[in-house]
Amino acid sequence: MNSLELVAATVKLQKTERVPVIPQVFGHAAVLSGVSVEDYTCNGEMLAQCQLNALKHYGHDAVFSVMDANVEAEAAGCVLEFHKERYSEITKYALSPGGQLSPLVVPHPEKAGRMPEMLKALSILRKELGMNTMIFGCVLGPFSVATQLIGLEAALYMAVDDPARLEALIDFAADIIIRFGLAQLKAGAHAMLVFDPASSPAVIPPNFFREFIFPRLKKTCNSFDQAGSMANWLHIAGPAAPILPFYPAAGVHIANFDYYISAAQAIKGLPATCVDGNIKPLAFVEGRPDAIRKESMDLMAAFLGRRGFILSSGCEVPLESRPENIMAMVGAAREFSNA
Amino acid sequence: MDKLITAILDGDSAMAVSKARQLNASGLSPEKIIIEGVEAAMSALDTKCTLEDFNLLEIMLAGRAVMEVTKLFWPSGAVKDSAKGTVVIAALEGDVHDLGKNILKMVLTGKGYNVVDCGKNCPLQKLADAAAAERPLAVGLSGLITTVIPVVRQVKGALAARGLDNVKVFAGGAALKQSTPGMLNVDFVAESAFDVLRFLSGLGKGIR
Repeated sequence: MNSLELVAATVKLQKTERVPVIPQVFGHAAVLSGVSVEDYTCNGEMLAQCQLNALKHYGHDAVFSVMDANVEAEAAGCVLEFHKERYSEITKYALSPGGQLSPLVVPHPEKAGRMPEMLKALSILRKELGMNTMIFGCVLGPFSVATQLIGLEAALYMAVDDPARLEALIDFAADIIIRFGLAQLKAGAHAMLVFDPASSPAVIPPNFFREFIFPRLKKTCNSFDQAGSMANWLHIAGPAAPILPFYPAAGVHIANFDYYISAAQAIKGLPATCVDGNIKPLAFVEGRPDAIRKESMDLMAAFLGRRGFILSSGCEVPLESRPENIMAMVGAAREFSNA
Repeated sequence: MDKLITAILDGDSAMAVSKARQLNASGLSPEKIIIEGVEAAMSALDTKCTLEDFNLLEIMLAGRAVMEVTKLFWPSGAVKDSAKGTVVIAALEGDVHDLGKNILKMVLTGKGYNVVDCGKNCPLQKLADAAAAERPLAVGLSGLITTVIPVVRQVKGALAARGLDNVKVFAGGAALKQSTPGMLNVDFVAESAFDVLRFLSGLGKGIR
């Protein structure tokens, strides 16, 4: 059973020879290869090479095409500033709080911003990895894209001051990510990561998620399913326990749970869905390998009788993570018996 | 006063300003309206917002109402001659995310603190200079990304270099709250803005 088969079987809650381990190595792959974050997030060839280097170094079970959280926003008209040692930031939003949505157009994935570079990265990764290791494309969630287009504060105030306009904005955002996601699947992604930090219950109440986010998330995941995605991985960080029960009906196959949520809560909230988590991200910077190893072992033990568990970090491993800590997590997964 | 409190908790800025204006016209001082109305609303919000039931949207809406009421009496948005003291806050250089800091500002203002906001992507020297000028009760650091941690660790040293050894330093935000006071070289790590209120209430009025 190769890595891709291992992850695919785990998603189906089947018995596997070991627990898959997927540290969420995004920009850390650049640091590991001695490349600037700016180059990594702007050059598809470099991104692919760094992901391959990280895969070879750590021996984990999946690679990602994640650049940063601003790819869709940039393609739709936001202005960014790039940095050598950290991710880009938005310096000008595509929309002003009182502005009209009508001038905005859904960007073409093969032409707009850095989207073509991400497609190039996926194409290279697929050529190199074939059907041996799972390749995750990445889109931001519909609400997160909406907040990137106008700013989080403005989007949240709009939820109360002009909810119809916010709904229109989220619909527009969903159109962007569906088109972009389908292009990624066509370019080589086996599966899709939907990264949606703004939908966390730390930001919005669960009933807001149910009314505003869930229908667009379902539409997005259904589109990816129809295009052949092997799995839709939803990543919502923070105290997400109240919204976990919505995930299966939305078409989520892998549910990230952050360090706020215990293994028991994740099992209870998602009894028949594959979950991944949940080592505290900062532990990969401040912690020690022995502590990471122990926490990994404890997590795998918590899921022993249940199946459908991917050992992972609660969120992205920070750029400056210590490689020995990631090695400790990967080593623990290979050492742990899943019998 | 109850109607003012309800309006703030509902996030209804226009109603909150209207009620505050009425209370002032009936003879209540701005200070009394802040203490008995706005601060009471923030206390109620604190009780409501447990870790399991805490979201930015509700806090922001209430905070917006608080800031509008504050601006009604003090157009600068800061409570003048705050009896509780001054808090200097910032998102340090390298971190351009300021929503957490802005919420902290609203919550602290709502509880009667004078807040000096050094903004986002704030150089360490600018923060330390502001603290030297304000002589605050505490300095607050908000951080969403882990790469800002090395700068956070330098804050107490920069304050000490200006003779501000007694100024307490606290940190919060998605990245910083994963750490510990010892690792960050600060006095307190807050889970939420309300956690900060409890920390500050234990400090007294400050050094001035």
